[in-house]
Amino acid sequence: MSDNTVILEEPIASVLKAPLEEQYVPGHRTCGGCGPALAYRLIAKAAGPNTIFLGPTGCMYVANTSYVCVPFAVPWMHTQITDGGGVASGVEAAYQAMIRKGKYKGDFPNIIVMGGDGGTSDIGLQAVSGAMYRNHDLLVISYDNESYANTGIQVSPMTPYGAATSFTPPGITIPEAKKFWPKDLTALIYYGHPMVKYVANATIGYPVDLMNKVRKALNKKGASFIHVHSACPKGWRFDASRTIEMAKLAIQTGMWINYEIDEGKKKLDHVPTKMKPVEEYLKTQGRFNHLRAEDVQKIQRFVDSKVAEARPVAARAV
Amino acid sequence: MKGEKKFLAGLAAVAEAAKLADVDVISSFPIRPYTGLMVDLSLKVANGELDAEFVHAEGEHGQLAIVHGASASGARTMTGSSGVGVTYAFETYSPISGGRCPVQMVIADRTLDPPGDFGSEHSDVLCARDQGWIMGWAETPQEALDNTLIYYRLGEDKRVALPQFNCQDGYFVSHIPGDVVVPEQSQVNEFLPPYKLDKPLDPLRPYGHGPQIYSDQGPVLELQRAIVMDKAKEIIPGIMDDFKRIFGRKYDPFIEDYNPNNAEVCLFINGAHAHTARYAIANLKSQGVNLALCKLRFVRPWATDEIAEALSRYKVVGVIETNNSFGVAREAGVFTPEVAATLYDLPENKRPMLISFMAGLGGEAIRLKDFYFMAKKLINTAQRKKLEKPVYWIGFEEDEEDLTF
Repeated sequence: MSDNTVILEEPIASVLKAPLEEQYVPGHRTCGGCGPALAYRLIAKAAGPNTIFLGPTGCMYVANTSYVCVPFAVPWMHTQITDGGGVASGVEAAYQAMIRKGKYKGDFPNIIVMGGDGGTSDIGLQAVSGAMYRNHDLLVISYDNESYANTGIQVSPMTPYGAATSFTPPGITIPEAKKFWPKDLTALIYYGHPMVKYVANATIGYPVDLMNKVRKALNKKGASFIHVHSACPKGWRFDASRTIEMAKLAIQTGMWINYEIDEGKKKLDHVPTKMKPVEEYLKTQGRFNHLRAEDVQKIQRFVDSKVAEARPVAARAV
Repeated sequence: MKGEKKFLAGLAAVAEAAKLADVDVISSFPIRPYTGLMVDLSLKVANGELDAEFVHAEGEHGQLAIVHGASASGARTMTGSSGVGVTYAFETYSPISGGRCPVQMVIADRTLDPPGDFGSEHSDVLCARDQGWIMGWAETPQEALDNTLIYYRLGEDKRVALPQFNCQDGYFVSHIPGDVVVPEQSQVNEFLPPYKLDKPLDPLRPYGHGPQIYSDQGPVLELQRAIVMDKAKEIIPGIMDDFKRIFGRKYDPFIEDYNPNNAEVCLFINGAHAHTARYAIANLKSQGVNLALCKLRFVRPWATDEIAEALSRYKVVGVIETNNSFGVAREAGVFTPEVAATLYDLPENKRPMLISFMAGLGGEAIRLKDFYFMAKKLINTAQRKKLEKPVYWIGFEEDEEDLTF
């Protein structure tokens, strides 16, 4: 590993103590209330100026960089939706070699892949897995809005069971719409890649936690991964003013569980001792309008088992 | 001639060149027959001969993604593949050339599946001839080594900035050793300047690369790629002159017009089989039969004017198609339509007739007698001044045993 590593200060104590400097700047055309855009802003703020972003195709490529606008104060490069992990691996390898051989005099950069759920859990999973397995010194973020959103809200592996998308419409034959349970991407990354030292689940509902997880991940030498639950008003069909409310409701109902695994130590974050029923979350979003009582019960049972699985803390030896 | 004489196969020769070029990032994935390159390079990295990051990609698509990111960051890169590995990575080719990243991909040709034929056939990488990459073949291990250096020099030239397919026939070149002069480091340093990128992915100089565009912003970028591909044609002759001056070996820039016997008919050929063709030409001469050879040095850029001028000297040209293009114009391979288009603007009295020979497919050797058969067809056509049959499939023609002229 390169010696030109810069350590980011942590923790950030509160929103008010976060850097004022923005690396994700105005000039994009994301939707009102866009969760992924907010995630981007917080992640870029935490990472700071010595950062390179790789942007696999997705909302955060299409809506951010439309018509040659590039709303970043740091270098950014588009990658195919398939290969964010691969291109980032190459950037990392280049900096390792160039610094070692005296061909680059600056500091080793923070290398961050900002992939959507499709670009990390589905078509781009192979490249992400390669980067994690080889333990390149980089961070992969999955900004998860639970669908292929920029193409018009199509189902992805992260779409919740029972959600309507433009490829999973509810109908007489398939009343529950989406029929499969989502992948557990963070577990897939962590338990499948023994060299990864840091993974986390985070959400835009808890911005300080998200920023600190980014800094913790970047301060590790080697590959790390953060899965960021990022509510999407357009895709989930709720009012754009309620994005943060949705993010918090997901935590309160167990539809999203925040945690980190830091060098083998697992820690739950923001998990309430008593969960609200999932129905409170489901009924606020148009994508679940068609669900029958039995579908809601089925989701409740799934969430109950996920919450039970998350506690007590299960750690693995490093 | 300076340098060390060695006995190397084509891929080993390229590995020597990669070391001399001080490559920074290499990405590998196994597929025969190109694998030999990575076996050699991984050894050079492991034993400290070459200081480079050697990244084991998760597939060919990943290989190309890795060198894309590395090249965009300012590193000199090398990757490679064969056969279906080349087509598996296909998505990445246009983004790499569109991003103007001069990565070098070494190809040891292999037939595409089905059904799993290891033999050389140019159909694999020729699929990617329209993706904005420099492309050309080596006939010998020496030419493979030399092309590696020539392609880096050309592709990294700021006036070009394009990736390169550095191709050689699987087995015929990749695995059959020949005499190779490995040049001295000082010669390579004189010929090949360090890779310097104007706008790398660098926090000290932040740029955005590859944003979304309006439809009317796209054609400008396409035109730029077309212009620099054309620009490459202007630059190549100077590079060959420099190469001759520094290394003492002379290469024709675009087409090698080999006509020792003042022939009226000519074979148009790409790659390793030119080697056998030279023996056939010499043997035919002793029987009083005159045959010439035009060997292509670059498939991309296609040197329309130079190829037209070379071929205009002949009455009949036989295009050897070591590739398939099912349903293509004139129903042969990809070279016939390109050659036909190249000749189209010549005046009628200078425009040769064209015959296509489907040969060397699936890794079959093109034997001396196959070349004699082709020569017979070309000469008969020249004498009768009439094209009897536009395409011959070597190995499937009824009159192949009759070699009387």
